[in-house]
Amino acid sequence: MIELKNVTKTYGKKQNLFTALDDVSLSIPEGASVAILGKSGSGKSTLMHAMSGLDRPQQGEVIVDGQDILKLKQKAVDKFRAEKIGFIFQSFFVQGNESVYDNVSLPLEIAKIPRAERKRRVQRALTSVEMLDKVRNKAKDLSGGQKQRLAIARAIANEPKIIFADEPTGNLDSVTGGLVEDMLFGYNRDRGVTLIIVTHDPELAAKCDVLVNIKDGKIESVEQKNRSDEADSLAREVVQQ
Amino acid sequence: MKLIDTVRRAGRSLRQAKARTLLTSLAIGVGAFTITLALAAGEGGRQYASDIISSNTDVRELYVQPKGDDASLDPTRPREYVPGPSMQFGGGFSQKMLSGDDIETLEGLENVSEVTPIYNASALYVTREGQKKYQAGLEPHNSAIKDEIIAGSTDGVGDNQVILPSAFAEVLGLPLNSSSIGQTVDIVMANSVTEEQKTYTLEVKAVVKSSILSAVGSTTLRVSRDTVADMYDFNMRGTPLEGAFLGATVLATDEQSVEGVKEAISDKGYLAQTAEDLMGFLFQFINVLMGVLIGFGALAVLTSVFGIINTQYISVLERTQQIGLMKALGMRGRDVGRLFKLEAAWVGFLGGAIGSGLALLAGTLANPWISDALSLGDSHLLIFQPWSFGVVVGGLMLVAIASGILPSRKAAKLDPIEALRTE
Repeated sequence: MIELKNVTKTYGKKQNLFTALDDVSLSIPEGASVAILGKSGSGKSTLMHAMSGLDRPQQGEVIVDGQDILKLKQKAVDKFRAEKIGFIFQSFFVQGNESVYDNVSLPLEIAKIPRAERKRRVQRALTSVEMLDKVRNKAKDLSGGQKQRLAIARAIANEPKIIFADEPTGNLDSVTGGLVEDMLFGYNRDRGVTLIIVTHDPELAAKCDVLVNIKDGKIESVEQKNRSDEADSLAREVVQQ
Repeated sequence: MKLIDTVRRAGRSLRQAKARTLLTSLAIGVGAFTITLALAAGEGGRQYASDIISSNTDVRELYVQPKGDDASLDPTRPREYVPGPSMQFGGGFSQKMLSGDDIETLEGLENVSEVTPIYNASALYVTREGQKKYQAGLEPHNSAIKDEIIAGSTDGVGDNQVILPSAFAEVLGLPLNSSSIGQTVDIVMANSVTEEQKTYTLEVKAVVKSSILSAVGSTTLRVSRDTVADMYDFNMRGTPLEGAFLGATVLATDEQSVEGVKEAISDKGYLAQTAEDLMGFLFQFINVLMGVLIGFGALAVLTSVFGIINTQYISVLERTQQIGLMKALGMRGRDVGRLFKLEAAWVGFLGGAIGSGLALLAGTLANPWISDALSLGDSHLLIFQPWSFGVVVGGLMLVAIASGILPSRKAAKLDPIEALRTE
């Protein structure tokens, strides 16, 4: 459960003041797949950063699992991200010079998982993105689709509760993009992990249970998809206040 | 992130930029090379000096002189007359000497086993039948001083015997083997008052190597104490300095009582110096030389510090995106900083290891050549001690970590959102 209450984030001072998020309130139930849809500069990335603890809005509350993460100290926020959040980025951000194994191992090392357990989790994560055969390859030798699958493996390796995906298919052709989408939604369905996708692609957004439209730092509308009863009941919980 | 994982990631980052890592390490390696050689030269010098000391002096010996009055140092004031024998120089300067009474006083002190006045005896010449005449000094033989014996034995030198340095044996036509033992040498002494001459015909008891280590041995013949006393007496008879000595050597009963004897002698109003005091300047000289060399090394290290700072700054800029990712994944700023400090530490370790390793190699190869050029015989000028490598490598790692502080702080403070926006 992620709950935002009256979150406001501004950049700059006085004449240059820019309001990226303007009194945003939103509630996302556990296990939902949510698309945050908006044009560039609409505040969708800032919203994602606020929910993941990367950014600190000046006002409001961001409550994840009953804890307001804006009240936590930096050290605790870092720990929260390491243990509960997985990230997928548009430009992958895989470390080209390192092996596939070391890329997936990074979040586990940061979360101080013991070595033997790390190995198990890396293999499990690579198996679920069908990349176990590439474990010793350098990341730079992979294709774009493989890189994004590697990024998914890295995001799920530590078994997070929430996955944030920022334009996950933006740099991929439609075939590989479709494969990556299937993997993300499959993981969301099978593990009950909350999936939050930031995108400006309406096609991708349409595949989510809940669609949040954002414009000029404000939530314009929340749409619910009635694909299934389960999704319907989840979507009903999303409230715009 | 755990320390061990951070160390591994740091090492891996460096391996991915091999040329840059190696070049930065080489800069610090120059300093390591110089400092390691300086430490080795210092140790070699100290061992060489203590070799000199043990081959010239007996550690139980003290050198005693009369105390000069303080006023004698001020040339603008007339000096008061102090009774007792003294050696006169021009300009009203004089060197006080020890009298027979003084020698008796010294002999009466506790823990003193023997007092030998300095017999400043010089032969008019020394020769053998059919050979040229040569100048020579004479001194009493002390069996505690180490010699490299070529022939014969230096134990129990009789009153009619002499120990000959090899240089003298050669010019006096004596072969450097046992056939020279028992041959005779004529030592002619002169008295300046009566202009009498006296010839001492002495048997060769031993031939010793004229060592570069010995300060006086090459031009000095050694005879028994009584013989040199007799020679000195003949030299000085009738002169104002008869029965007076420039100083005396006092032999303590054992090594432990040397300091006590020194104090007792000082209390009696004499100036006493131990063998250590006399040779102390040598050590000081070596330490100063070593300090200068280390200073050059430190300068090289200082230069490499800027190299490390520069390289690390560039590395932080290049890896902005990686740093952003690590921070987004929940790595703490402190741990990111530690990653960069550890990379710097690796560079320091590599530089230290390469530099001191090359120093060991170069020193080991150069040692025989240096010994040959400076005629040091079997002793080596460069002596490498295991601890010096530890100190150099460890010290340079600390220096490298310190140079990594600024760049690593920049990395630690990087905003992950900004960093991930950088393409």
